Amino acid sequence: MEQATVKSGAPKNHNGLISTVLFVLTYFVARMVLEQEEMAESLRVLAALLPVAPFAWMLWEIIKGVRSMDELEQRIQLEALVVAYPLTLILLMTLGLLEIAIKLPPEDLSYRHVWAMLPVFYFLGLAIAKRRYR
Amino acid sequence: MKNNIRELREAHNLSQEELARKLDVSRQTVNAIENDKYDPMLPLAFKIAKVFGKTVEDVFLPEHKKK
Repeated sequence: MEQATVKSGAPKNHNGLISTVLFVLTYFVARMVLEQEEMAESLRVLAALLPVAPFAWMLWEIIKGVRSMDELEQRIQLEALVVAYPLTLILLMTLGLLEIAIKLPPEDLSYRHVWAMLPVFYFLGLAIAKRRYR
Repeated sequence: MKNNIRELREAHNLSQEELARKLDVSRQTVNAIENDKYDPMLPLAFKIAKVFGKTVEDVFLPEHKKK
């Protein structure tokens, strides 16, 4: 989620950005490590769980960021999620139905790739909401 | 809902940024309220009125927004 707009005079907080970068880095490290199929299973599980801790930190920073926003900024975030959440639902539902109807290429349309659409939907919703209050 | 925040702000020689600082909100929020894009909740409405030494009824006019 987008970082909170710093209110007038409020100190800047970079933890949100650092935690996001750390999460993305650990995710790609995990993906790279998991490509090595000869690795021990316990290490593979450890690699798969690697991004969870940075994600938890990022989530905490998002919650703090939203709490520090003013009422209009919180409303904009809510409206962004109102767009993103149903779009996510319809994407997953449609892919689920298509999977029953035809054989979808798992390398392109598995949940490993589809999740990347969720931030896209969120930023689309954010752009729409911001435009409304410009 | 209409308001006369812009007029009051200019009469007090305040920029949007300065008013935002006094209200502890972003400049964009002040701008959205001034342009009738957003109606603030009661606590912020009272805060705005207090900054200008007015009542809420002096600042906000209960007129329906044109759609």
